[in-house]
Amino acid sequence: MRKDDKLFGEIDWPLFIAYILMVFLGLMTVYSVAYTPEHPSIFDVDKQYGKQIIWISISMFLGLLVFLIDSDIYQKYALPIYLFTTSLLILVLFMPPINGARAWIGVANLGIQPAEFAKIGAALLLARYISDLNIKQLNISSVMLAILILVVPMVLILLQPDAGTFVVFTSFLFVMYREGLTFDPIILKVINLYPGVKFKETWVGTHFIPILFVLVFISIITLLLSNVSFYLWFSDEPINGSIGVILSLGTLTIVALLFIQRFGNKRERTRMIIIILLGFTLTGGLSFTVGKSFNSLAPHQKDRIELFLGLKEDPNGKDYNRNRAMSAVGSGGWSGKGYKNASVSSVESNHVPESETDFIFCPFAEEWGFVGVILLISLYMFMLIRILYIAERQRSAFNRIYAYSVAMILFYHFAINIGMNIGFAPVIGIPLPFFSYGGSSIMSFSMMMFILLKLDSQRKDVLR
Amino acid sequence: MNFEGRKYVVISFMLFVGIIYGFRLFYMQVIDDTWKLRAQEIAEKRKEIIPARGVIFDRNGQKIVSNKTYFNLMMVEDKIKDLDTLAFAKLIGWTVDEVRARFKEIRKGEGSFYNKHSKKRTSNYQKVRAYPFLKELTLEEISKIAPHLEKFPGFYEEVTSMRSYPFKGGANVLGYLAEVNEEEIEKDKFYKPGSNVGRAGLERYYEKELRGYKGVKYVVTSALNNAIESYASGKYDTTAVQAEPLTLGLDMLIQAYGEELMKNKKGCIVAIEPSSGEILAMISSPSFDPNLLVGNRNIRMNYPMLLKDTKKPLFPRPLAAEYPPGSIFKLVQSLIGLQEGVITEKSGFPCDKGLVGCHNHPNAGSIQEAVQYSCNPYYYAVVRRIIQQNKKSSLFEDAEIGLNIWHQYMQSFGLGKKLESDVFGERPGLIPNGSYYDKWYGHHHWAFSTIRSISIGQGEVKLTPLQMANIATIIANKGWFYTPHFVKSVGQNGPIEKFQVVHKTMVEPKHFDPVIEGMRRVVNENGGTARMARLEDIVICGKTGTVQNPQGEDHSVFIAFAPMNNPKIAIAVFVENAGFGGTWAGPIASLMIEKYLKRRVTDMAKEKRILDAILSGGD
Repeated sequence: MRKDDKLFGEIDWPLFIAYILMVFLGLMTVYSVAYTPEHPSIFDVDKQYGKQIIWISISMFLGLLVFLIDSDIYQKYALPIYLFTTSLLILVLFMPPINGARAWIGVANLGIQPAEFAKIGAALLLARYISDLNIKQLNISSVMLAILILVVPMVLILLQPDAGTFVVFTSFLFVMYREGLTFDPIILKVINLYPGVKFKETWVGTHFIPILFVLVFISIITLLLSNVSFYLWFSDEPINGSIGVILSLGTLTIVALLFIQRFGNKRERTRMIIIILLGFTLTGGLSFTVGKSFNSLAPHQKDRIELFLGLKEDPNGKDYNRNRAMSAVGSGGWSGKGYKNASVSSVESNHVPESETDFIFCPFAEEWGFVGVILLISLYMFMLIRILYIAERQRSAFNRIYAYSVAMILFYHFAINIGMNIGFAPVIGIPLPFFSYGGSSIMSFSMMMFILLKLDSQRKDVLR
Repeated sequence: MNFEGRKYVVISFMLFVGIIYGFRLFYMQVIDDTWKLRAQEIAEKRKEIIPARGVIFDRNGQKIVSNKTYFNLMMVEDKIKDLDTLAFAKLIGWTVDEVRARFKEIRKGEGSFYNKHSKKRTSNYQKVRAYPFLKELTLEEISKIAPHLEKFPGFYEEVTSMRSYPFKGGANVLGYLAEVNEEEIEKDKFYKPGSNVGRAGLERYYEKELRGYKGVKYVVTSALNNAIESYASGKYDTTAVQAEPLTLGLDMLIQAYGEELMKNKKGCIVAIEPSSGEILAMISSPSFDPNLLVGNRNIRMNYPMLLKDTKKPLFPRPLAAEYPPGSIFKLVQSLIGLQEGVITEKSGFPCDKGLVGCHNHPNAGSIQEAVQYSCNPYYYAVVRRIIQQNKKSSLFEDAEIGLNIWHQYMQSFGLGKKLESDVFGERPGLIPNGSYYDKWYGHHHWAFSTIRSISIGQGEVKLTPLQMANIATIIANKGWFYTPHFVKSVGQNGPIEKFQVVHKTMVEPKHFDPVIEGMRRVVNENGGTARMARLEDIVICGKTGTVQNPQGEDHSVFIAFAPMNNPKIAIAVFVENAGFGGTWAGPIASLMIEKYLKRRVTDMAKEKRILDAILSGGD
């Protein structure tokens, strides 16, 4: 194995600098939001900012360790690492609950959250596992095993319970999609149980990600319209919005069919018509089911969905957090209220709960306004695309899959965390990577990042 | 199959989310105002600062109404931890049950608002807000409580200001403050539940002048409703401005002296400076210490007591008590007779006791003598001539015309209608006219003989003491008056316009001279009815009255002005159930005049006699 003379020689500087910049911005925001005149020093360890500096220092030290250790241990020891992080998830279930969840190991103030580290374990093992697969000849057990790698920590996390991290684990679906992993073996197994049916492949198993999003999109539209009635020009009968969605889908189908009739060639025509009709049946059925089942939900579940979709208001009750967060963000205006001037979201004013951790986007948006926010989003976009770029230049599938995992995890955190500040995502507590105050969060994301940087720096060493 | 193309699906998905978020944030932060307003609602509070009320000076520049610091004991329920109710109750001197009841009361009442559309009262109580647990504590009271408050988190003291009356006098004039009611809050946005408003007297009449201008402070508040810092470094804040002081025409020296003289008597004194119409003193007896009605705690305790008092200390007698004027009315009758030309200065009428009773005196051969002797038959004759001027052959039609002419004269003297002074509670008194008697006796069913008792100020005629004093003013001025008023100047603005309008009576100045001469004789000549009011060095012109009172002892009344030339003070004194006018009302007026003009009283025996007299029996 060739040892690089220069420790940081091959490091990807753009990504590293983006990381440092974000950690710095995060620390400054924590300092601003938690600042009190009694504790003016940023190094004051009684306050969150002082502690955050300690966490950052530990993270940097861990990063240095990562760079000192040869990168092939991750592939080699992916399974032990996974088993370790997963066993911590089991251990944490025996800890006393804090705020209703068994998410912490250790003494109250100095605990870690195993769920944060479980993402690294899962990413490494999944990378190891998928890179070893022959992706073009999958059998049912290999697909099942891939799913199992995710499901075990997901179930354990749900037991804490920690809905946020649970959702983040679904980001690995994107990784699987990118790698061409298909769920066809499982779907075919089920479908072919039906006598006389013999499929070789389904489009559904391969393109699950785009399909998933089309379905989610249609469901949300259905829900949004389920409270609205409208009239057609020829009748006085009110029509429920969810029926309207089905009608629109039907219209779309007819238009598509006409197009195919006119432009499609003979051979494809039949196949396309079947796909379109099948698609309509599926989506229309989904709309119908969603509409119906929504109305049969328990009131409190219905409440939550209605609040999230903005169909209902309860600014001082169930919707308190989101309402306060959005007020803070919206009041930032074009250029913000100025550093340390977050009147709604400072820890002292305490209108926005958890404004130094999960809701740290609030004070940032309030202090720096749209100008600051758009720079932050750009920085995230840059970081994500840079990671994807790094991923695609890897020679080894392991590295690539791991890099994709990192990108997707960061993206999920970014999208959900900021989404819940602007009313685009339900309020589920997950941190904003590198920004939010908290040891587990900053350490796990840093580790994730340093492992990626280390893998990338040694990408030319061996052909894995 | 090659999957590399799928990276574009992933990248475009990320970019899609990023761009959508960017647009959303642009909308939320730059275009839409909803969230900015919401944030203001949440975190930026308007805090109103109420200025201390304007102070009041008397005509000599003495502060007669000032402000004193008081304290409220505030509580924030959310911050109360493990309250030792027993110890707390002990600290504030209450029982445990009272403390619990007060908590309940605050939760239900203090923070409630009334929705006039739904007619419902909803509690707006919030645990994080501060409410006064005890209101209006004095410095002594709070200094017993405050040092121990650290044992009771959630309670703290807050400074407020309330009225203070250094001179214990003028309660009926000054009025008092009380908490606003819903109607007042509804009418004027200045008031918030719990704020105080002038309820009576000058405090009420000059409420807008005295309340000042509220300041507004915008503060950033926390979720616990604590003020954290001023918003935008105080850019939008305004300071509270205390109202400019009121300067009264009132002379606190004689106001207090008059109250002293009227102790143990029922009645009133009104003194006016004729040249300006400024009220120098307005005593209503029995009265009370204005400090009894400072603060709602005192009002709750003392108001019912004052209200229940059978001597009616809250009743503003000088303004609202309507008495028959008695013989002082003869002055006005003389003036009307002279102006109408039905008598001359030299007219004489015999004292014919067959018509009406009179005391023993020589026949009056002139107006001067008629006033001096206060001859009842004389004024029957005079008023008969005024009423029955033989303008119509029918006695009844003639009386109607005559009475209505007489009524017009009376109105020009400010009688039978409100004077519109700057104080609430004024009554118009009663001067009957034709239609008044029509109601009683029927149209053209009455003539002078029916209504003759009005000649000598008895019967239907009723005047308030303020109107009586105003008659003295008119005579002193020889025919005109300014509306009697209290306030000389609001701030530095000088007299109020309304009170600078000269009201002329229908009687020419030349007719006043014989009447004034008569009034001089009343006090200064043998045979005058008010010799006891005489002063060595000041010529007082006066007129006594003894008002027949079917319910009991006659009322003693006296009006006067002094000095005769260039009068400085006009006064009316009314002592209920005290008998002859010259015996009590006269000397009291004389003491008041002397006190006002010389700032001291020389005849100690006269003073002592009045002070010692107890005349308020009989109720």
